[in-house]
Amino acid sequence: MTTLTRQDLNFGQVVADILCEFLEVAIHLILYVREVYPSGIFQKRKKYNVPVQMSCHPELNQYIQDTLHCVKPLIEKNEAEKVVVVIMDKEHHPVERFVFEISQPPLLSISSETLLSHLEQLLRAVILKISVCDAVLDNNPPGCTFTVLVYTREAATRNMEKVQVIKDFPWIVADEQEVLMQEPRLIPLKTMTSDIVKVQ
Amino acid sequence: QKERSPSPTCDQKVILLPCKSAPSRDRVQLWLHAKRQYECLQKER
Repeated sequence: MTTLTRQDLNFGQVVADILCEFLEVAIHLILYVREVYPSGIFQKRKKYNVPVQMSCHPELNQYIQDTLHCVKPLIEKNEAEKVVVVIMDKEHHPVERFVFEISQPPLLSISSETLLSHLEQLLRAVILKISVCDAVLDNNPPGCTFTVLVYTREAATRNMEKVQVIKDFPWIVADEQEVLMQEPRLIPLKTMTSDIVKVQ
Repeated sequence: QKERSPSPTCDQKVILLPCKSAPSRDRVQLWLHAKRQYECLQKER
């Protein structure tokens, strides 16, 4: 049995790889389900053994990839508290937020096979919840766009600066206008707790 | 040499977002229209 601990060099990388892949799928699916972009740019793919919709628009795909590339070093070092997909109206006011709370346990003792199969089941459940979330959400106004917020600590931003892509894809501290929603309503979609990560 | 960890009192929570905006819906719609036109032309050939 392979046992991993947080002290293992590749532990953070494994978690970051898995989570970033999951976030990529989740972002594409949110954009499809919430009709941020025309449905014609999405194609059906299979992830975690379930059908999902992924964009085939090169610029949008690159944007999502660059975003996650910058977030990855923070997840690797357990320095990203939340990753939030925000849907904004034409005036750039947030109208909807999909919050992924990330907390990693300090220690774990599991076999890598058990870990992967268990994790796949959990991520699949979250993806399935996202794919039907429009049933419990109101329609968004026309002309919406989106952004990704990362909740972290000031010192952790230095890890982000080490990533090469950051030079062409810089990040800034969010304004209140970009973060706060008027009359927010919380709809819990799914809490997922695995041996390596907790996503809410 | 041991790396000095930042003081927790000055290490404030921050919320970051990319400077660049995601492509607008109109821009993506235009691309989709052009893609469909191109695919139609390819079929006609």
